[in-house]
Amino acid sequence: MRGFLTNPVIIKELRERFRTGKTAWILGSYLFVMGAILFGVIYVETANKVYFRPGESREIFILLTVIQLGMIGFIAPALTAGTISGERERQTLNVLLTTHLTPFSIVSSKMLTSLLFISLVVLSSLPLYSFVFLYGGISPVQLIKIFWFFSVNIIFFGSLGVFCSARFRRTGVSTIISYGLTFLVGVGTALITFFLWQFFEMMEWKAVDSDLFPFLFSINPGFVLAEIIGEKVVPPSLTYFMEPWILFSILYLGLSVFLLGWATRVLNPLRKKRLG
Amino acid sequence: MIETQGLTKRYGKLEALKDLNLKIEQGKVFGFIGPNGAGKSTTMMILSTLLRPSSGKAYVGGFDVEKNPREVRQLIGYMPDFFGVYDNLKAIEYLDFYCGAYQIPERKRTALIADLLELVNLSGKADSYVDSLSRGMKQRLGLARCLVHDPKVLILDEPASGLDPRARIEMREILKELRAMGKTIIISSHILPELAELCNDIGVIEKGKLIAYGSVGDMTVGVKGISIMQLKVLDQAEAAEKILTDSPFVKRVDNKNRYFRFQFTGSDVDKAALLANLLSQGIPVVSFSEAKENLEDVFLAITEGVGS
Repeated sequence: MRGFLTNPVIIKELRERFRTGKTAWILGSYLFVMGAILFGVIYVETANKVYFRPGESREIFILLTVIQLGMIGFIAPALTAGTISGERERQTLNVLLTTHLTPFSIVSSKMLTSLLFISLVVLSSLPLYSFVFLYGGISPVQLIKIFWFFSVNIIFFGSLGVFCSARFRRTGVSTIISYGLTFLVGVGTALITFFLWQFFEMMEWKAVDSDLFPFLFSINPGFVLAEIIGEKVVPPSLTYFMEPWILFSILYLGLSVFLLGWATRVLNPLRKKRLG
Repeated sequence: MIETQGLTKRYGKLEALKDLNLKIEQGKVFGFIGPNGAGKSTTMMILSTLLRPSSGKAYVGGFDVEKNPREVRQLIGYMPDFFGVYDNLKAIEYLDFYCGAYQIPERKRTALIADLLELVNLSGKADSYVDSLSRGMKQRLGLARCLVHDPKVLILDEPASGLDPRARIEMREILKELRAMGKTIIISSHILPELAELCNDIGVIEKGKLIAYGSVGDMTVGVKGISIMQLKVLDQAEAAEKILTDSPFVKRVDNKNRYFRFQFTGSDVDKAALLANLLSQGIPVVSFSEAKENLEDVFLAITEGVGS
Protein backbone atom coordinates (compact mmCIF):
# COMPACT_ATOMS: atom_id res chain seq x y z
CA MET A 1 0.00 0.00 0.00
CA ARG A 2 2.89 2.28 0.87
CA GLY A 3 4.44 1.52 -2.52
CA PHE A 4 1.15 2.42 -4.13
CA LEU A 5 0.91 5.74 -2.31
CA THR A 6 4.52 6.71 -3.05
CA ASN A 7 4.63 5.58 -6.69
CA PRO A 8 5.43 8.84 -8.51
CA VAL A 9 3.56 7.92 -11.70
CA ILE A 10 0.39 7.10 -9.77
CA ILE A 11 0.60 10.35 -7.79
CA LYS A 12 1.21 12.36 -10.96
CA GLU A 13 -1.55 10.65 -12.92
CA LEU A 14 -4.06 11.10 -10.11
CA ARG A 15 -3.06 14.74 -9.77
CA GLU A 16 -3.40 15.33 -13.49
CA ARG A 17 -6.62 13.38 -13.89
CA PHE A 18 -8.55 14.54 -10.87
CA ARG A 19 -7.47 18.15 -10.96
CA THR A 20 -9.35 18.98 -14.13
CA GLY A 21 -13.02 19.76 -14.45
CA LYS A 22 -13.20 17.19 -17.25
CA THR A 23 -13.20 14.35 -14.72
CA ALA A 24 -16.19 15.76 -12.84
CA TRP A 25 -18.00 16.26 -16.13
CA ILE A 26 -17.38 12.67 -17.29
CA LEU A 27 -18.58 11.30 -13.95
CA GLY A 28 -21.57 13.62 -13.82
CA SER A 29 -22.60 12.89 -17.40
CA TYR A 30 -22.31 9.15 -16.88
CA LEU A 31 -24.50 9.20 -13.79
CA PHE A 32 -26.96 11.53 -15.49
CA VAL A 33 -27.36 9.20 -18.48
CA MET A 34 -27.69 6.09 -16.31
CA GLY A 35 -30.11 7.84 -13.93
CA ALA A 36 -32.17 9.25 -16.78
CA ILE A 37 -32.55 5.77 -18.31
CA LEU A 38 -33.50 4.24 -14.95
CA PHE A 39 -36.05 6.90 -14.02
CA GLY A 40 -37.35 7.00 -17.58
CA VAL A 41 -38.02 3.27 -17.57
CA ILE A 42 -39.62 3.35 -14.09
CA TYR A 43 -41.81 6.25 -15.16
CA VAL A 44 -42.95 4.53 -18.36
CA GLU A 45 -43.53 1.20 -16.58
CA THR A 46 -45.59 2.67 -13.77
CA ALA A 47 -47.33 5.54 -15.54
CA ASN A 48 -50.67 3.79 -16.01
CA LYS A 49 -50.45 1.26 -13.19
CA VAL A 50 -51.01 1.34 -9.48
CA TYR A 51 -48.60 -1.50 -8.72
CA PHE A 52 -45.02 -2.50 -9.56
CA ARG A 53 -44.08 -6.15 -9.99
CA PRO A 54 -40.64 -7.41 -8.86
CA GLY A 55 -40.24 -8.99 -12.32
CA GLU A 56 -40.23 -5.52 -13.81
CA SER A 57 -37.55 -4.46 -11.38
CA ARG A 58 -35.47 -7.32 -12.72
CA GLU A 59 -35.89 -5.97 -16.23
CA ILE A 60 -34.60 -2.61 -15.06
CA PHE A 61 -31.63 -4.34 -13.48
CA ILE A 62 -30.87 -6.16 -16.74
CA LEU A 63 -31.16 -2.92 -18.66
CA LEU A 64 -28.81 -1.11 -16.26
CA THR A 65 -26.30 -3.94 -16.40
CA VAL A 66 -26.27 -4.17 -20.18
CA ILE A 67 -25.85 -0.42 -20.52
CA GLN A 68 -23.05 -0.46 -17.98
CA LEU A 69 -21.21 -3.24 -19.81
CA GLY A 70 -21.54 -1.24 -23.02
CA MET A 71 -20.22 1.84 -21.23
CA ILE A 72 -17.21 -0.09 -19.92
CA GLY A 73 -16.43 -1.24 -23.47
CA PHE A 74 -16.74 2.37 -24.55
CA ILE A 75 -14.89 4.13 -21.71
CA ALA A 76 -12.04 1.71 -20.92
CA PRO A 77 -10.29 1.96 -24.32
CA ALA A 78 -10.88 5.71 -24.44
CA LEU A 79 -9.15 6.22 -21.10
CA THR A 80 -6.26 3.83 -21.64
CA ALA A 81 -5.49 3.99 -25.38
CA GLY A 82 -3.59 7.27 -24.94
CA THR A 83 -1.74 6.60 -21.72
CA ILE A 84 1.65 5.69 -23.18
CA SER A 85 1.33 7.02 -26.72
CA GLY A 86 0.30 10.30 -25.07
CA GLU A 87 3.61 10.40 -23.19
CA ARG A 88 5.36 9.69 -26.49
CA GLU A 89 3.46 12.43 -28.30
CA ARG A 90 4.13 14.92 -25.52
CA GLN A 91 7.81 13.96 -25.77
CA THR A 92 7.97 13.02 -22.12
CA LEU A 93 8.44 9.26 -22.50
CA ASN A 94 12.18 9.26 -23.23
CA VAL A 95 12.92 11.35 -20.19
CA LEU A 96 10.80 9.00 -18.09
CA LEU A 97 12.72 6.00 -19.38
CA THR A 98 16.07 7.48 -18.27
CA THR A 99 14.89 7.58 -14.65
CA HIS A 100 14.77 4.63 -12.26
CA LEU A 101 11.21 3.86 -13.33
CA THR A 102 11.16 0.51 -15.08
CA PRO A 103 8.96 -0.04 -18.15
CA PHE A 104 6.88 -2.38 -15.98
CA SER A 105 6.32 0.23 -13.28
CA ILE A 106 5.30 2.78 -15.94
CA VAL A 107 2.86 0.36 -17.60
CA SER A 108 1.38 -0.94 -14.35
CA SER A 109 1.00 2.52 -12.81
CA LYS A 110 -0.71 3.86 -15.93
CA MET A 111 -3.00 0.84 -15.96
CA LEU A 112 -3.81 1.16 -12.27
CA THR A 113 -4.71 4.85 -12.39
CA SER A 114 -6.93 4.30 -15.43
CA LEU A 115 -8.62 1.39 -13.64
CA LEU A 116 -9.14 3.55 -10.57
CA PHE A 117 -11.02 6.11 -12.59
CA ILE A 118 -13.16 3.58 -14.49
CA SER A 119 -13.90 1.80 -11.21
CA LEU A 120 -14.90 5.10 -9.66
CA VAL A 121 -17.33 5.66 -12.53
CA VAL A 122 -18.81 2.17 -12.17
CA LEU A 123 -18.95 2.22 -8.38
CA SER A 124 -20.53 5.64 -8.32
CA SER A 125 -23.46 4.11 -10.17
CA LEU A 126 -24.03 1.62 -7.34
CA PRO A 127 -26.71 3.75 -5.66
CA LEU A 128 -28.75 3.46 -8.85
CA TYR A 129 -28.92 -0.27 -8.27
CA SER A 130 -30.46 0.39 -4.86
CA PHE A 131 -33.64 1.30 -6.71
CA VAL A 132 -33.75 -2.24 -8.00
CA PHE A 133 -33.18 -3.62 -4.51
CA LEU A 134 -35.95 -1.40 -3.22
CA TYR A 135 -38.40 -3.37 -5.31
CA GLY A 136 -36.62 -6.74 -5.09
CA GLY A 137 -36.17 -9.26 -7.88
CA ILE A 138 -32.39 -9.71 -7.80
CA SER A 139 -30.11 -11.51 -5.35
CA PRO A 140 -27.02 -9.96 -3.69
CA VAL A 141 -24.91 -12.87 -4.99
CA GLN A 142 -25.91 -11.96 -8.52
CA LEU A 143 -24.93 -8.35 -7.87
CA ILE A 144 -21.53 -9.42 -6.53
CA LYS A 145 -21.00 -11.66 -9.56
CA ILE A 146 -21.98 -8.80 -11.85
CA PHE A 147 -19.47 -6.45 -10.26
CA TRP A 148 -16.75 -9.09 -10.41
CA PHE A 149 -17.62 -9.58 -14.08
CA PHE A 150 -17.44 -5.81 -14.62
CA SER A 151 -14.03 -5.74 -12.91
CA VAL A 152 -12.70 -8.44 -15.24
CA ASN A 153 -14.00 -6.48 -18.24
CA ILE A 154 -12.46 -3.24 -16.97
CA ILE A 155 -9.09 -4.94 -16.44
CA PHE A 156 -9.14 -6.63 -19.84
CA PHE A 157 -10.31 -3.69 -21.94
CA GLY A 158 -7.98 -1.43 -19.93
CA SER A 159 -5.01 -3.74 -20.63
CA LEU A 160 -5.97 -3.82 -24.28
CA GLY A 161 -5.92 -0.01 -24.41
CA VAL A 162 -2.59 0.21 -22.56
CA PHE A 163 -1.07 -2.40 -24.86
CA CYS A 164 -2.24 -0.55 -27.98
CA SER A 165 -0.90 2.73 -26.63
CA ALA A 166 2.52 1.14 -26.04
CA ARG A 167 2.55 -0.68 -29.37
CA PHE A 168 1.33 2.14 -31.63
CA ARG A 169 3.07 5.49 -31.69
CA ARG A 170 -0.01 7.65 -32.29
CA THR A 171 -2.92 7.91 -29.90
CA GLY A 172 -5.35 8.15 -32.82
CA VAL A 173 -4.20 4.81 -34.26
CA SER A 174 -4.05 3.21 -30.83
CA THR A 175 -7.62 4.32 -30.02
CA ILE A 176 -9.02 3.03 -33.31
CA ILE A 177 -7.32 -0.35 -32.90
CA SER A 178 -8.42 -0.58 -29.24
CA TYR A 179 -12.02 0.01 -30.28
CA GLY A 180 -11.66 -2.45 -33.15
CA LEU A 181 -10.41 -5.17 -30.81
CA THR A 182 -13.09 -4.30 -28.23
CA PHE A 183 -15.68 -4.69 -30.96
CA LEU A 184 -14.13 -8.02 -31.96
CA VAL A 185 -14.39 -9.31 -28.39
CA GLY A 186 -17.84 -7.87 -27.74
CA VAL A 187 -19.59 -8.45 -31.05
CA GLY A 188 -17.17 -10.43 -33.21
CA THR A 189 -17.08 -13.46 -30.90
CA ALA A 190 -20.90 -13.52 -30.84
CA LEU A 191 -21.06 -13.39 -34.64
CA ILE A 192 -18.47 -16.16 -34.96
CA THR A 193 -20.43 -18.29 -32.48
CA PHE A 194 -23.67 -17.66 -34.31
CA PHE A 195 -22.10 -18.42 -37.68
CA LEU A 196 -20.49 -21.65 -36.47
CA TRP A 197 -23.74 -22.71 -34.78
CA GLN A 198 -25.60 -22.24 -38.04
CA PHE A 199 -22.86 -24.08 -39.90
CA PHE A 200 -23.11 -27.05 -37.51
CA GLU A 201 -26.90 -27.08 -37.97
CA MET A 202 -26.49 -26.98 -41.75
CA MET A 203 -24.05 -29.87 -41.70
CA GLU A 204 -26.36 -31.67 -39.27
CA TRP A 205 -23.55 -32.02 -36.73
CA LYS A 206 -24.52 -32.07 -33.08
CA ALA A 207 -23.47 -28.63 -31.92
CA VAL A 208 -24.65 -29.16 -28.33
CA ASP A 209 -22.31 -32.12 -27.92
CA SER A 210 -19.27 -30.20 -29.07
CA ASP A 211 -16.84 -28.71 -26.49
CA LEU A 212 -16.33 -25.79 -28.83
CA PHE A 213 -19.63 -24.04 -28.12
CA PRO A 214 -19.45 -23.92 -24.32
CA PHE A 215 -16.04 -22.31 -24.86
CA LEU A 216 -17.29 -19.88 -27.50
CA PHE A 217 -20.28 -18.87 -25.38
CA SER A 218 -17.92 -18.32 -22.44
CA ILE A 219 -15.64 -15.90 -24.24
CA ASN A 220 -18.35 -13.48 -25.27
CA PRO A 221 -19.13 -10.89 -22.58
CA GLY A 222 -22.77 -10.69 -23.66
CA PHE A 223 -23.47 -14.41 -23.30
CA VAL A 224 -21.63 -14.57 -19.96
CA LEU A 225 -23.62 -11.62 -18.64
CA ALA A 226 -26.83 -13.31 -19.73
CA GLU A 227 -25.77 -16.45 -17.87
CA ILE A 228 -25.03 -14.50 -14.67
CA ILE A 229 -28.37 -12.73 -14.63
CA GLY A 230 -30.17 -15.96 -15.48
CA GLU A 231 -31.39 -15.06 -18.93
CA LYS A 232 -31.33 -18.16 -21.09
CA VAL A 233 -30.04 -17.03 -24.46
CA VAL A 234 -28.05 -20.19 -25.18
CA PRO A 235 -29.79 -23.48 -26.02
CA PRO A 236 -30.82 -25.13 -22.73
CA SER A 237 -29.41 -28.49 -23.83
CA LEU A 238 -25.87 -27.05 -23.94
CA THR A 239 -23.80 -28.12 -20.95
CA TYR A 240 -20.86 -26.08 -19.75
CA PHE A 241 -17.75 -27.85 -18.51
CA MET A 242 -17.04 -24.83 -16.27
CA GLU A 243 -19.26 -21.97 -15.18
CA PRO A 244 -19.01 -19.40 -17.99
CA TRP A 245 -18.09 -16.49 -15.71
CA ILE A 246 -15.20 -18.50 -14.21
CA LEU A 247 -13.83 -19.50 -17.62
CA PHE A 248 -14.33 -15.92 -18.83
CA SER A 249 -12.42 -14.55 -15.82
CA ILE A 250 -9.51 -16.99 -16.17
CA LEU A 251 -9.19 -16.39 -19.90
CA TYR A 252 -9.43 -12.61 -19.91
CA LEU A 253 -7.36 -12.04 -16.78
CA GLY A 254 -4.71 -14.27 -18.34
CA LEU A 255 -4.88 -12.29 -21.56
CA SER A 256 -4.60 -9.05 -19.57
CA VAL A 257 -1.38 -10.24 -17.91
CA PHE A 258 -0.05 -11.22 -21.35
CA LEU A 259 -0.93 -7.85 -22.90
CA LEU A 260 0.61 -5.89 -20.03
CA GLY A 261 3.74 -8.05 -20.26
CA TRP A 262 3.95 -7.38 -23.98
CA ALA A 263 3.44 -3.64 -23.42
CA THR A 264 6.30 -3.67 -20.90
CA ARG A 265 8.53 -5.40 -23.44
CA VAL A 266 7.65 -2.93 -26.17
CA LEU A 267 8.45 -0.04 -23.87
CA ASN A 268 11.93 -1.26 -22.98
CA PRO A 269 14.26 0.82 -25.19
CA LEU A 270 17.09 -1.69 -24.91
CA ARG A 271 15.10 -4.78 -25.84
CA LYS A 272 16.64 -7.01 -28.46
CA LYS A 273 14.81 -6.76 -31.72
CA ARG A 274 14.44 -9.74 -33.97
CA LEU A 275 16.71 -9.61 -36.94
CA GLY A 276 15.27 -9.15 -40.37
CA MET B 1 33.93 9.18 -17.69
CA ILE B 2 32.39 8.63 -21.11
CA GLU B 3 33.87 6.34 -23.70
CA THR B 4 32.64 4.96 -26.98
CA GLN B 5 34.39 2.31 -29.02
CA GLY B 6 33.44 1.85 -32.65
CA LEU B 7 29.89 2.95 -31.91
CA THR B 8 27.65 2.39 -34.92
CA LYS B 9 23.92 2.73 -35.38
CA ARG B 10 22.09 1.63 -38.49
CA TYR B 11 18.45 2.15 -39.38
CA GLY B 12 17.96 -0.29 -42.20
CA LYS B 13 20.45 0.76 -44.86
CA LEU B 14 20.99 4.21 -43.36
CA GLU B 15 24.04 4.52 -41.14
CA ALA B 16 23.18 7.21 -38.61
CA LEU B 17 26.44 6.74 -36.74
CA LYS B 18 29.66 5.27 -38.08
CA ASP B 19 32.44 3.92 -35.90
CA LEU B 20 32.41 6.67 -33.28
CA ASN B 21 35.33 6.68 -30.87
CA LEU B 22 35.17 9.22 -28.08
CA LYS B 23 36.77 9.64 -24.70
CA ILE B 24 35.60 12.35 -22.34
CA GLU B 25 37.42 12.82 -19.06
CA GLN B 26 35.67 13.52 -15.78
CA GLY B 27 34.83 17.19 -15.20
CA LYS B 28 35.28 18.13 -18.86
CA VAL B 29 32.75 19.83 -21.07
CA PHE B 30 32.51 18.26 -24.49
CA GLY B 31 30.78 20.12 -27.30
CA PHE B 32 29.22 18.10 -30.04
CA ILE B 33 28.92 20.13 -33.21
CA GLY B 34 27.18 19.19 -36.38
CA PRO B 35 24.19 19.97 -38.53
CA ASN B 36 20.76 18.48 -37.89
CA GLY B 37 20.72 14.76 -38.62
CA ALA B 38 24.49 14.37 -38.26
CA GLY B 39 24.25 11.77 -35.50
CA LYS B 40 24.54 13.90 -32.35
CA SER B 41 21.16 12.96 -30.93
CA THR B 42 21.69 9.29 -31.83
CA THR B 43 24.95 9.25 -29.86
CA MET B 44 23.31 10.97 -26.92
CA MET B 45 20.38 8.58 -26.94
CA ILE B 46 22.71 5.59 -26.90
CA LEU B 47 24.64 7.10 -24.00
CA SER B 48 21.33 7.72 -22.21
CA THR B 49 20.30 4.04 -22.53
CA LEU B 50 17.43 4.93 -24.87
CA LEU B 51 18.80 3.30 -27.98
CA ARG B 52 20.63 0.09 -28.65
CA PRO B 53 23.73 0.49 -30.86
CA SER B 54 24.00 -1.76 -33.91
CA SER B 55 27.61 -2.43 -33.01
CA GLY B 56 30.35 -1.01 -30.80
CA LYS B 57 30.37 -0.21 -27.12
CA ALA B 58 29.52 2.80 -25.00
CA TYR B 59 30.49 3.27 -21.37
CA VAL B 60 29.46 5.88 -18.83
CA GLY B 61 31.46 5.89 -15.59
CA GLY B 62 32.84 2.51 -16.59
CA PHE B 63 29.38 0.95 -16.96
CA ASP B 64 28.29 -0.56 -20.23
CA VAL B 65 25.13 1.27 -21.35
CA GLU B 66 23.57 -1.94 -22.66
CA LYS B 67 24.49 -4.27 -19.82
CA ASN B 68 24.16 -1.91 -16.85
CA PRO B 69 21.45 0.60 -17.83
CA ARG B 70 20.31 1.13 -14.24
CA GLU B 71 23.79 2.16 -13.05
CA VAL B 72 24.20 4.40 -16.10
CA ARG B 73 20.83 6.07 -15.47
CA GLN B 74 21.93 6.88 -11.91
CA LEU B 75 25.01 8.63 -13.31
CA ILE B 76 23.40 10.66 -16.07
CA GLY B 77 20.98 13.54 -16.40
CA TYR B 78 19.57 13.59 -19.92
CA MET B 79 17.84 16.51 -21.58
CA PRO B 80 16.54 15.77 -25.09
CA ASP B 81 16.40 18.39 -27.85
CA PHE B 82 12.62 18.49 -27.64
CA PHE B 83 10.73 17.57 -24.55
CA GLY B 84 7.25 18.18 -23.31
CA VAL B 85 5.90 18.95 -19.90
CA TYR B 86 2.83 17.69 -18.12
CA ASP B 87 -0.39 19.68 -18.06
CA ASN B 88 -1.90 20.49 -14.73
CA LEU B 89 1.33 20.15 -12.79
CA LYS B 90 3.06 22.98 -10.94
CA ALA B 91 6.83 23.45 -11.28
CA ILE B 92 7.35 22.16 -7.76
CA GLU B 93 5.15 19.10 -8.42
CA TYR B 94 6.94 18.46 -11.70
CA LEU B 95 10.28 18.25 -9.90
CA ASP B 96 8.70 16.25 -7.08
CA PHE B 97 7.52 13.70 -9.64
CA TYR B 98 11.05 13.21 -10.94
CA CYS B 99 12.41 13.08 -7.37
CA GLY B 100 10.00 10.18 -6.89
CA ALA B 101 11.12 8.62 -10.15
CA TYR B 102 14.70 8.66 -8.84
CA GLN B 103 13.57 7.32 -5.47
CA ILE B 104 14.74 10.35 -3.52
CA PRO B 105 13.34 10.20 0.05
CA GLU B 106 10.42 12.56 0.61
CA ARG B 107 12.02 14.32 3.59
CA LYS B 108 14.88 15.51 1.37
CA ARG B 109 12.73 16.72 -1.50
CA THR B 110 11.51 20.11 -0.27
CA ALA B 111 15.00 21.50 0.30
CA LEU B 112 16.36 19.88 -2.87
CA ILE B 113 13.60 21.30 -5.07
CA ALA B 114 14.07 24.78 -3.57
CA ASP B 115 17.82 24.58 -4.27
CA LEU B 116 17.30 23.42 -7.85
CA LEU B 117 14.75 26.13 -8.59
CA GLU B 118 17.18 28.66 -7.17
CA LEU B 119 19.98 27.31 -9.37
CA VAL B 120 17.92 27.74 -12.53
CA ASN B 121 16.45 31.08 -11.40
CA LEU B 122 12.90 29.80 -11.14
CA SER B 123 12.27 30.22 -7.42
CA GLY B 124 9.54 32.75 -8.17
CA LYS B 125 7.74 30.25 -10.40
CA ALA B 126 7.59 27.34 -7.96
CA ASP B 127 3.80 27.37 -7.80
CA SER B 128 3.19 28.23 -11.44
CA TYR B 129 1.76 25.61 -13.74
CA VAL B 130 4.54 24.23 -15.94
CA ASP B 131 2.42 24.72 -19.02
CA SER B 132 2.26 28.46 -18.39
CA LEU B 133 6.06 28.93 -18.34
CA SER B 134 7.93 30.45 -21.28
CA ARG B 135 10.09 28.20 -23.48
CA GLY B 136 13.27 29.46 -21.80
CA MET B 137 11.82 28.76 -18.37
CA LYS B 138 10.67 25.29 -19.39
CA GLN B 139 14.14 24.60 -20.71
CA ARG B 140 15.67 25.70 -17.39
CA LEU B 141 13.14 23.63 -15.50
CA GLY B 142 14.13 20.69 -17.71
CA LEU B 143 17.73 21.28 -16.68
CA ALA B 144 16.70 21.34 -13.00
CA ARG B 145 14.87 18.08 -13.64
CA CYS B 146 18.11 16.53 -14.94
CA LEU B 147 19.80 17.43 -11.69
CA VAL B 148 17.37 16.00 -9.10
CA HIS B 149 19.52 12.91 -8.47
CA ASP B 150 22.79 14.86 -8.56
CA PRO B 151 24.19 13.09 -11.64
CA LYS B 152 27.89 13.18 -12.41
CA VAL B 153 27.26 13.41 -16.14
CA LEU B 154 24.91 15.73 -17.99
CA ILE B 155 23.86 14.85 -21.53
CA LEU B 156 22.29 17.95 -23.02
CA ASP B 157 20.94 17.77 -26.55
CA GLU B 158 20.58 21.28 -28.00
CA PRO B 159 19.74 22.90 -24.65
CA ALA B 160 19.59 26.36 -26.16
CA SER B 161 17.58 25.59 -29.27
CA GLY B 162 14.61 27.82 -29.81
CA LEU B 163 15.60 30.23 -27.06
CA ASP B 164 15.78 33.97 -27.48
CA PRO B 165 19.22 35.59 -26.97
CA ARG B 166 18.51 36.54 -23.38
CA ALA B 167 17.30 33.04 -22.45
CA ARG B 168 20.33 31.60 -24.24
CA ILE B 169 22.69 33.72 -22.16
CA GLU B 170 20.88 32.67 -18.97
CA MET B 171 21.19 29.02 -19.97
CA ARG B 172 24.90 29.49 -20.69
CA GLU B 173 25.47 31.03 -17.27
CA ILE B 174 23.77 28.08 -15.58
CA LEU B 175 25.88 25.66 -17.58
CA LYS B 176 29.02 27.50 -16.51
CA GLU B 177 27.91 27.10 -12.92
CA LEU B 178 27.42 23.37 -13.47
CA ARG B 179 30.86 23.13 -15.03
CA ALA B 180 32.27 24.82 -11.93
CA MET B 181 30.48 22.17 -9.83
CA GLY B 182 32.63 19.55 -11.57
CA LYS B 183 29.96 17.94 -13.72
CA THR B 184 31.04 16.15 -16.86
CA ILE B 185 28.91 17.65 -19.59
CA ILE B 186 28.31 16.54 -23.13
CA ILE B 187 26.42 19.22 -24.98
CA SER B 188 25.34 19.44 -28.58
CA SER B 189 24.49 22.42 -30.65
CA HIS B 190 24.23 23.55 -34.20
CA ILE B 191 24.58 27.15 -33.07
CA LEU B 192 28.31 27.07 -32.71
CA PRO B 193 29.56 30.22 -31.01
CA GLU B 194 27.54 29.41 -27.91
CA LEU B 195 29.79 26.42 -27.24
CA ALA B 196 33.12 28.20 -27.72
CA GLU B 197 33.63 29.56 -24.26
CA LEU B 198 31.93 26.66 -22.53
CA CYS B 199 33.75 23.61 -23.84
CA ASN B 200 37.13 22.06 -23.16
CA ASP B 201 36.90 19.76 -26.16
CA ILE B 202 34.78 19.71 -29.26
CA GLY B 203 33.91 17.05 -31.74
CA VAL B 204 32.59 17.81 -35.18
CA ILE B 205 30.24 15.22 -36.60
CA GLU B 206 28.75 15.10 -40.03
CA LYS B 207 26.77 12.33 -41.73
CA GLY B 208 27.37 10.05 -38.76
CA LYS B 209 31.18 10.41 -38.88
CA LEU B 210 33.37 12.23 -36.41
CA ILE B 211 35.48 14.37 -38.68
CA ALA B 212 37.38 16.42 -36.12
CA TYR B 213 37.97 15.97 -32.43
CA GLY B 214 40.19 17.85 -30.01
CA SER B 215 40.52 20.74 -27.62
CA VAL B 216 39.02 24.07 -28.59
CA GLY B 217 42.53 25.56 -28.69
CA ASP B 218 43.75 22.94 -31.15
CA MET B 219 40.84 23.42 -33.46
CA THR B 220 41.90 26.24 -35.70
CA VAL B 221 41.12 26.75 -39.29
CA GLY B 222 44.80 27.59 -39.77
CA VAL B 223 45.45 23.86 -39.63
CA LYS B 224 43.78 23.58 -42.98
CA GLY B 225 45.63 26.59 -44.44
CA ILE B 226 42.58 28.78 -44.31
CA SER B 227 42.40 32.22 -42.77
CA ILE B 228 39.32 34.24 -42.00
CA MET B 229 39.38 37.74 -43.46
CA GLN B 230 37.20 40.75 -42.94
CA LEU B 231 36.64 43.67 -45.23
CA LYS B 232 34.73 46.88 -44.67
CA VAL B 233 33.85 49.27 -47.49
CA LEU B 234 32.22 52.71 -47.51
CA ASP B 235 29.96 51.93 -50.48
CA GLN B 236 29.94 49.97 -53.76
CA ALA B 237 29.28 46.82 -51.74
CA GLU B 238 27.98 44.97 -54.78
CA ALA B 239 31.11 45.64 -56.80
CA ALA B 240 33.27 44.62 -53.86
CA GLU B 241 31.34 41.38 -53.45
CA LYS B 242 31.82 40.58 -57.14
CA ILE B 243 35.59 41.04 -56.86
CA LEU B 244 35.66 38.79 -53.80
CA THR B 245 33.57 36.02 -55.36
CA ASP B 246 35.64 36.19 -58.54
CA SER B 247 38.85 35.56 -56.60
CA PRO B 248 39.91 31.88 -56.68
CA PHE B 249 41.17 32.13 -53.07
CA VAL B 250 37.95 33.42 -51.54
CA LYS B 251 35.25 31.13 -50.17
CA ARG B 252 32.02 31.55 -48.25
CA VAL B 253 31.56 35.29 -48.56
CA ASP B 254 29.26 36.62 -45.88
CA ASN B 255 27.96 40.09 -46.74
CA LYS B 256 26.53 42.05 -43.82
CA ASN B 257 25.77 45.48 -45.21
CA ARG B 258 29.20 46.71 -46.44
CA TYR B 259 30.95 44.39 -43.97
CA PHE B 260 32.32 41.20 -45.47
CA ARG B 261 33.65 38.10 -43.79
CA PHE B 262 35.18 35.32 -45.87
CA GLN B 263 37.55 32.37 -45.91
CA PHE B 264 40.84 32.95 -47.71
CA THR B 265 42.92 30.03 -48.90
CA GLY B 266 45.81 31.89 -50.50
CA SER B 267 49.14 33.23 -49.21
CA ASP B 268 49.94 36.73 -47.87
CA VAL B 269 51.01 37.73 -51.41
CA ASP B 270 47.56 36.70 -52.67
CA LYS B 271 45.93 38.76 -49.90
CA ALA B 272 47.94 41.84 -50.93
CA ALA B 273 46.97 41.25 -54.57
CA LEU B 274 43.29 41.03 -53.62
CA LEU B 275 43.49 44.32 -51.71
CA ALA B 276 45.31 45.98 -54.62
CA ASN B 277 42.60 44.73 -56.98
CA LEU B 278 39.84 46.18 -54.76
CA LEU B 279 41.59 49.57 -54.60
CA SER B 280 42.42 49.67 -58.31
CA GLN B 281 38.72 49.23 -59.10
CA GLY B 282 37.90 52.26 -56.96
CA ILE B 283 36.32 50.40 -54.01
CA PRO B 284 36.52 52.66 -50.93
CA VAL B 285 38.05 50.14 -48.51
CA VAL B 286 37.81 51.17 -44.85
CA SER B 287 39.52 48.09 -43.43
CA PHE B 288 40.99 44.82 -44.69
CA SER B 289 42.33 42.45 -42.05
CA GLU B 290 42.43 38.95 -40.63
CA ALA B 291 39.48 38.22 -38.34
CA LYS B 292 39.52 36.28 -35.11
CA GLU B 293 38.06 32.97 -36.06
CA ASN B 294 35.12 31.51 -34.21
CA LEU B 295 33.78 27.99 -33.95
CA GLU B 296 31.49 28.59 -36.86
CA ASP B 297 34.48 29.25 -39.10
CA VAL B 298 36.17 26.15 -37.70
CA PHE B 299 33.13 24.09 -38.41
CA LEU B 300 32.69 25.39 -41.92
CA ALA B 301 36.36 24.93 -42.72
CA ILE B 302 36.46 21.39 -41.32
CA THR B 303 33.28 20.24 -42.97
CA GLU B 304 34.29 21.69 -46.31
CA GLY B 305 33.71 19.01 -48.89
CA VAL B 306 32.29 16.45 -46.46
CA GLY B 307 29.34 14.61 -47.93
CA SER B 308 29.48 16.55 -51.18
